[in-house]
Amino acid sequence: MDRTLTHFIAALRNAEVRISPAETLDAMNAVELVGYRDRAFLKDSLALVLPKTADEKETFDTTFDQFFSFEDVAGQTVAVEGDSDGEDGEAGGEGQGQGEGLGGGKGSGSKGKKSKYAAVEEEEEEDLGPGAMAEPRSALARLLMQEGTTDLTVRMAEAAEEADLTQIQVFTQKGLYTRKIMDAMGLAGLVAEIGELRASPHIPERRLAQELRRRRDWLRELVRDYVERQFLLHADVTGRRLREDLLQKVKLSNVEHRNFRLIQEIVLRMAKKLAALHSRRRKVFKRGQLHVSRTLRHNMSYDGSIFDLHWKSVKVDRPKVFAICDVSGSVAAYARFMLMFLYSLDEVMPKVRSFAFSSDLAEVTELFERNKIEDAIAKTLRDYSGGSTDYGQAFQDFRKLCMDEVDNRTTIIILGDARNNYGDPRTDILKEMYDRSKRVIWLNPESRNTWNVGDAEMRKYSAYVHQAEECNSLMHLNRIVGNLLRMVA
Amino acid sequence: MADIEQLAESVDSLKDSFEAHRYICSNQIATAVYLAFHLRKPVLIEGPPGVGKTELAKTTAEMFALPLIRLQCYEGLDEAKAIYEWKYGKQLLYTQVLKETLDEVLQGAQGFAESVTRLHEFGDIFFSEEFLEPRPLLKALREEDGCVLLLDEVDKSDHEFESLLLEILSDFQVSIPEIGTVKAHREPPIVFLTSNNTREISDALKRRCLHLYIPFPDADLEQRIIHARVPDIPPELRRQLVTFIQDLRDLDLKKVPAISETIDWARTLLLLHTESLDPDLVRDTLNVILKFQEDIENVDAEIATLTNKAVRADGVGPKARP
Repeated sequence: MDRTLTHFIAALRNAEVRISPAETLDAMNAVELVGYRDRAFLKDSLALVLPKTADEKETFDTTFDQFFSFEDVAGQTVAVEGDSDGEDGEAGGEGQGQGEGLGGGKGSGSKGKKSKYAAVEEEEEEDLGPGAMAEPRSALARLLMQEGTTDLTVRMAEAAEEADLTQIQVFTQKGLYTRKIMDAMGLAGLVAEIGELRASPHIPERRLAQELRRRRDWLRELVRDYVERQFLLHADVTGRRLREDLLQKVKLSNVEHRNFRLIQEIVLRMAKKLAALHSRRRKVFKRGQLHVSRTLRHNMSYDGSIFDLHWKSVKVDRPKVFAICDVSGSVAAYARFMLMFLYSLDEVMPKVRSFAFSSDLAEVTELFERNKIEDAIAKTLRDYSGGSTDYGQAFQDFRKLCMDEVDNRTTIIILGDARNNYGDPRTDILKEMYDRSKRVIWLNPESRNTWNVGDAEMRKYSAYVHQAEECNSLMHLNRIVGNLLRMVA
Repeated sequence: MADIEQLAESVDSLKDSFEAHRYICSNQIATAVYLAFHLRKPVLIEGPPGVGKTELAKTTAEMFALPLIRLQCYEGLDEAKAIYEWKYGKQLLYTQVLKETLDEVLQGAQGFAESVTRLHEFGDIFFSEEFLEPRPLLKALREEDGCVLLLDEVDKSDHEFESLLLEILSDFQVSIPEIGTVKAHREPPIVFLTSNNTREISDALKRRCLHLYIPFPDADLEQRIIHARVPDIPPELRRQLVTFIQDLRDLDLKKVPAISETIDWARTLLLLHTESLDPDLVRDTLNVILKFQEDIENVDAEIATLTNKAVRADGVGPKARP
C-alpha cells in the first residue's frame, strides 16, 4: 500500500511536480487517515498534501486519474468492488470492450466476463458446449480462472516490478516489457498446461483449455494496456527532458513555433533560479527614525542611559535594472525571446524597467505587469515593432524618459543587433548612459563576426558599453544573466 | 474539546457544520480542514481575492468555538511584532530598582569575587517570562485549549519573515534565545495562512503546509452561497445575478468580481427592491462589482447582452451552466 503511494509519487515527480520526502511522509499520514476506500476523498486529500501550486494541481489531477485507473487500489476497496459489480456485468453483457470494464471496476459477474473474452478470441474452436471444467493447475491458470481480477492485477503489478517496468524509456520497448511481464507471471507454465489440456481426451479438460486460451489473450491485452499507461507515466518526461536539453543549445531563431511554450518555461525557470541565487539584500537606514526598542536593549549595559543609538532601517532589494529591447524587423526572430526573457526577469526581479523600440522608444513595464506573458509580448510587438530601426531616436527617447533616474546603482541592458540603417548612432547618449550607470551591457543576437558588417554600428557602440556579448541561445542567455546578476547584486 | 472532535469526525459533518455557520464550501475545502485538524498541519490557502479565504479561518474558529488570533502580514513585519517583544520600559525600571537594592544584596560581601558570587545567586529575572510581551504567534502557542491562528496575506510579508514562520509551522514551537523554547500547550493551534499570490511563497514554507486552492465557485455553489449570505433575495433574482457574474468573469477584466462582490451586489439589489435585472439597473449598480473605471467602461457595451442572457436563461431554457 505504501509502495503504491511511492510509485504514485514517483510518477508525479516525473510529471514535474516537486515533492519532497517530508511531503511523502505527510501523504502517508494522510492516506493512513483517509484510506483507499473513497476515491474522491483520497484524491481531495492527496491534492492538499502533494501539489503546491495551481499548475501542479492540474498535473496532479491527470496523473491521479491515470495512475489510479486500476492498479491495486481495487484490491483494498472491497466496498467499491461490490458496488460496481452489477453495472460491470451489464457493460460486459452489451459486448463493450474490456478497457471500459477495467476502468470501472473489477468484480464482474462470470457471465459478463465470458462475453468479453469472446470479443477478443475469434479463433475457431470446436463447440464443446457448456458444462463442467477441469481444475486448472498452474498458478497463473488458477488466477485466470478466478472470479474477479483483483489478485490477477496484483500479480501483474508484481510482475511489472520484477521486469523493472518503471525503467521504460522509449515506446519501442513496449512489446518487450509486455513480454517480460507475461513471462514473469508464468506464461510458459500456462502455455504448457494449455497444450496438455488440449491433447487430453476428456471434454472438461479440453473445455478448460479453450477457456484458458481466451483468458490468456485477454490477459495479454490487459498487460499491454498496463504497460502503455506506465509508459505514459514514467517515460514521457524523459523524452521531454531530452527535448529541453536540445532547445537550450539551439539558436533561438531556429526554434519552431510549437516549442515556444517549452522555451517559455525554461526561460522562466532560468530567470527564477538566477534571481534566487543572487537575491542578496541591502539595508537602507531611515533618516531620523529611532529604533526605540533596539536602542533601549543595547543600552541596558550602559545602565539604561541612552548612549548608543540605533536607527530604523529598511531592507532594500537589488538596485535597478533598465532593459531596452529592439523589436524591429531585423531582430524579429529574436524579439519574442528577448521579450520573453525581459518579462520573466521582470517577474523575478523587483525593479526592472523595460523598454521596447524600433524607432520610438516606450516603456512597457506596466504593460508587462498587467498582462500575461503571451498578451504582453503580442501587444509589445504590435505596438512597437512597426518602424524601421533607429537607435539614435531610441536613445534620445530614453534620455528624455528616464535618464534622470539612471544612477550609479543602475544596470542597463540593451538587447539588439545595432543595425541602425546608416542613421546617426548617437553614441553621445550611449556615452552618457555609460557614464551615469553602473554597467551597460549589450546583448547582440548576431554572431560576433557579423557585428560590424553592413549597417551594424557595434564597433562604435561597443566603446561605450562595459560588456558586449553574443546572445542567441538559451545557454548564452543563462551564462550572461548569471554573470549579470552576480554583478548587479 | 469533545465537541470539536465530534465535528471533525468526517468531512461531511464538517461540511454540514460549515453550512450551519453560513459558509458554503466544496468538498475540497472541508477535506482541507479535516486533514488540518487530524494531521495537525497548517493550511496555506491560495486563490483570487474575495473567494472567502479569510472567511474560512474565521468560520472555523466560530464553528469550533475557539478564539481566533489573527496576524495581518505586511512588508516590514518582524519578530518583534509577530512573535514576542521585551517590555523594555519595565526592564529599565527593574534595573533602577535593582540598583537601589544592590546594597542589600551585597551586604557584607567581602571583596569583588564574593560580590559577584552573591550577584549570581540573586535570581536573574531580567530576561524572564515576566518581561516578555507575547505577540500573536506566541499568544497562539500559549492558548490553553487551542485556537485558530490566521496569518493573513502572508505573501505581503518579507522573505525573512517567512523563514521565521518555519519553526512555528512545523513544530508548533518558538525559540526565544534568552529563555528557551516555548512549545504549544496540549492543543496546538489550527493554523491558516492566506496568500493572494502577489509573490511566490517559498518552497520551505509550502512544504510544511497543506495547500488549498480556492477558485471562483461554479454557478451552483455560488447560488447556494448567496442563499446562505443573503437569504432574503428572491430565488429568481439570485439566479439571474449569479449567471450575470459568472459570465462577467469570462470577460477580460482587470479585477474580476469575486464572491464578496456578488454578495455585496445581492445586498444592493435587495435594498433597491429589485425583482429582476435590467440593463439600466445593472449600469447604475455596476460600481458595486467592478472596482476599476476602465473595467466599467469595458463592460458597459456588453451590459445589455449579458443582462438579457441572464434574464432569458430563467427556468424555461436549459440551465445557463452546470
